[in-house]
Amino acid sequence: MPFNAIPSKDFVNREADIDYLKQLAASGKGAVAGNILLEAARGMGKTELLKQLYRILFWEDRGVVPFYYSFRRSALKANHFAKDYFNRFIRQYLAYVKRDPSLAENMSAPLARLVPVMYSLKLKWMIDLVDDFQEHLWNDDPQAQAVGAISAPLTAAARGGNTVLIMFDDFHMANQLYETSPGDVSGPISLFDDSINTSLCPHIMTGSPEGLLESIFTDKSFRGKAERMFIGPLPEDVAHSLFSSLCERLGIRDNRELSLKFMNFLGGNPLYIMNMVKSLRKMQKKEITERDLWECYSYEVSQGETFFYWSSVLGEFVGTAGGRRMAAEILIQYTRSDADMPEAGMLSRVLGVRESSLMPVLDAVSISGMMQPASSESKDYVLNDFIHSLHMREVEGVKRERARELIQSKYFPAGGAASCFEMIIPMIADAELVASKAVEQIGRNMNLSSEVTEQIQLAIIESCINAMEHSGSYDKRIFLKFSVQRERLEIIIESPGKFFKPGTDETLDIEKQLSSDNKRGWGFKLMRRIMDDVRIERLADRTRVILTKNIKPDEVLNESD
Amino acid sequence: MKATNFKVISRLAGDVVVLYPQGYLNNLAGESLVSKCNSYLSQGIKKVVLNFSGTDFINSIGISLLLHIMEGLKEGGGVLCFTNLSKVHSDTFEMLGLTNHMLVFGDEEEAFRYFDSGSSS
Repeated sequence: MPFNAIPSKDFVNREADIDYLKQLAASGKGAVAGNILLEAARGMGKTELLKQLYRILFWEDRGVVPFYYSFRRSALKANHFAKDYFNRFIRQYLAYVKRDPSLAENMSAPLARLVPVMYSLKLKWMIDLVDDFQEHLWNDDPQAQAVGAISAPLTAAARGGNTVLIMFDDFHMANQLYETSPGDVSGPISLFDDSINTSLCPHIMTGSPEGLLESIFTDKSFRGKAERMFIGPLPEDVAHSLFSSLCERLGIRDNRELSLKFMNFLGGNPLYIMNMVKSLRKMQKKEITERDLWECYSYEVSQGETFFYWSSVLGEFVGTAGGRRMAAEILIQYTRSDADMPEAGMLSRVLGVRESSLMPVLDAVSISGMMQPASSESKDYVLNDFIHSLHMREVEGVKRERARELIQSKYFPAGGAASCFEMIIPMIADAELVASKAVEQIGRNMNLSSEVTEQIQLAIIESCINAMEHSGSYDKRIFLKFSVQRERLEIIIESPGKFFKPGTDETLDIEKQLSSDNKRGWGFKLMRRIMDDVRIERLADRTRVILTKNIKPDEVLNESD
Repeated sequence: MKATNFKVISRLAGDVVVLYPQGYLNNLAGESLVSKCNSYLSQGIKKVVLNFSGTDFINSIGISLLLHIMEGLKEGGGVLCFTNLSKVHSDTFEMLGLTNHMLVFGDEEEAFRYFDSGSSS
């Protein structure tokens, strides 16, 4: 829906683009061709730009009626499309006139129920439109229904006296409209000829991949009818400013030096930036370290919103599970290749599949816009890592958490030069002593004094029993990682299940505890007193506690000791 | 520190009972200690010494159960002394701010001297 735009303050550095589009909306003549073909890489904010413009036209710059339509795979059958398109147009128009978004958002009530509203607004022509369209439905003529729906905004502009700005999101999908089965209509996009060629309704069209949309507009019926407009990545400083302000709003302390570098890596893509911040919040990060960034990033590309974004993009083009696996194979081969397009015969041999099976998936993947050769100059590293993650999950059978760890280790090897140990203990009585035994040996390896080792043992015991008490998960396991450096010991304790966050130590009053029935709740206080840092984070379905101990020189035994 | 299976040994010396919690003091262990202590209280023994020389780790649940014992004795007009605390035990009690509410002695003899001096009555 067009009303779910992000707050305008978060939509940065696009003011000039919005102004230009507003000008198009106002006159339809200011622009070179009367229509705009909006091009950008995925995630750069094409859809959001349309929604922001919609919001402005709806609430602020009145005089032009905005109509937003997003083409969807579920509504590509001509009669479904026609009903959907017509319905949405009528409702959005009424919502605009009444300044009432709920009229557009409530799609469940039949249009007939809105006739009294049309009548009260003196929109007699709209009632005629609804009647005409109803007749097309009765006649069961999908072609007439589609034409009737597509021409509705033109009729509205002509008879209502207001310019209607038509915004088509994912317009490339219009080329897949069909009557009874996909591909049964030749050049369905030509249904939009009249709409796009009229001066009554300027159009803004987005689509991905850009090449596909462009090819539509080099068709002779559309040639010269649309001006191209590019939306580039956010400049480094703007990208950082967006990241920083989002972090601040969520109570996360930014680290300018680190995040600036990271913005470059994200390629100034606003979608990636926003997803990263959401991920930092989900994981309960309070301040940003390099490890936090890579950890959240690896989460994003392996199981976060970025993963689901790219996954749904792929799903648009490749529908079956088998096709998806093959797509993952093709994409991974492509990321390793310097060629512009993999040669089908060779690919078929490499993957061990028949060319006839490969070709449909290869074609689908080619038009999805997800292929980027290893040599590409404007490489999307995020997409690249998504592809690796997808391959690990779909082809190699790697679990998502392991995929996340592998991606993280590519950028941030655990503990740098540290020795790392991992162990899994069951949530059963006294299992925490096994973890504490591991600490005992680690303490010995580090030459720590027995007092320090015993304190750390106690801290890990507390963390483990806390996990056992609060996880509530069917997966009764605790995952431990020990990262040992000469001057630092870090222990990560992860437990699946519900998130647990303790209260502050201040809430523990010894006087009250002594006289209260509940004398529990000392665990985190103890951990905080023993360790130099105790952090609690949320990682996917796990609660993660990170215990860090900085080893002071007097805590290490000398050889003579 | 070795964590062994928990057991409580007790020794009655006049009107003083000395309890020796041995092993890892956690929830189950702590409850058996509370129950042992209560059984002496019900027999009219109100002077209790907890000798931790054989105690390995005391986790936070164990600590909360020690608080129950402290409360029970306080309410019943009894006195509880802690002895033979290891460095990690005393550090733990110190960190949690419990030492101000406990009578801590180096060993049993010191605790008995305290009782003999009549300061506990």
